[in-house]
Amino acid sequence: MRPNLTSVGTIVWLSSELMFFAALFAIYFTLRSNAPGVWDEQTQLLNVPFALTITTVLVLSSVTCQIGVLAAERGQVGRTGRLFQVSKWGMREWFILTFLMGAFFIAGQSYEYAELVLHEGLTLSSDPYGSIFYLATGFHGIHVTLGLFAFLLVLGRTYMTSRFTHEQATSAIVVSYYWHFVDVVWIALFLTIYVIQ
Amino acid sequence: MKIEAFIFVVVAVFLAVVTPIYWFMSKDPTGTTALTLTFGLGAMIAFYFMLLARRLGPRPEDRQDGEIEELAGEYGFFSPHSWWPLMAGAATTVVFVGLVFAWFILIIGLALSVIAVIGWVFEYYRGDFAH
Repeated sequence: MRPNLTSVGTIVWLSSELMFFAALFAIYFTLRSNAPGVWDEQTQLLNVPFALTITTVLVLSSVTCQIGVLAAERGQVGRTGRLFQVSKWGMREWFILTFLMGAFFIAGQSYEYAELVLHEGLTLSSDPYGSIFYLATGFHGIHVTLGLFAFLLVLGRTYMTSRFTHEQATSAIVVSYYWHFVDVVWIALFLTIYVIQ
Repeated sequence: MKIEAFIFVVVAVFLAVVTPIYWFMSKDPTGTTALTLTFGLGAMIAFYFMLLARRLGPRPEDRQDGEIEELAGEYGFFSPHSWWPLMAGAATTVVFVGLVFAWFILIIGLALSVIAVIGWVFEYYRGDFAH
């Protein structure tokens, strides 16, 4: 037995993604230690309960994603029962649910941005807090959005062939690695921005 | 995979020791953040390789009595020729040129990226390769 090259490559690439987010976290803590006054004032604008809600949905989407991967690993691509028989769901149904939950998170984040920009006047160029708030959460949001596209591509592959192949299971697994990674990064960002402030 | 895991365990352990020392000596948030996440880099790969080591058991190259012919077999699928990576690279270039210079170039770049990614992902799912 030898390791799957695609999976190993994905993990090594994700570790470099971690370094990308390290730069954003470093910017956050550097600005915060240099401008504590701005932080005291601007963190008041955050809607923490709302952020907690969309965070919960994103974290749960990792769970649904993993159940989908377990289905893919036993080779079950589609459901074997009716649409609402959740216990009979295959990879497709779980991935579609994951996609919807991820899309809900992005919609919530867009709403949060709109509230902050239009009603609170916090923008990318308004002050140091605005800059790093939108950079960090925005780059994370771009990652989630790209993950949503990745789910569509994986689903597309399963619909284009008559048989569920090993290669498709691999793409499902590596997309789940990416999704879990983006999820963990968000938990760290949430703790940094909304809890520690 | 144990030896590969060990290399990254060394990275993680080194940073786990150095990062708190750095923080207490400097109180520098920038470097401490960077070191903490570099620990994550090592720990993440180490964890995954340890998981693989446990799941796969010793490979021929991990055993003293391993023979070269045991490494024969399928390693994975490698495209013998493909234009899509070049297309994806060109599309990414247009995206970043667009970010610097103008929105309309960015939109063209994003459209090209979508074509490149779909072309790449489905290259062996269409035409002669449909299965």
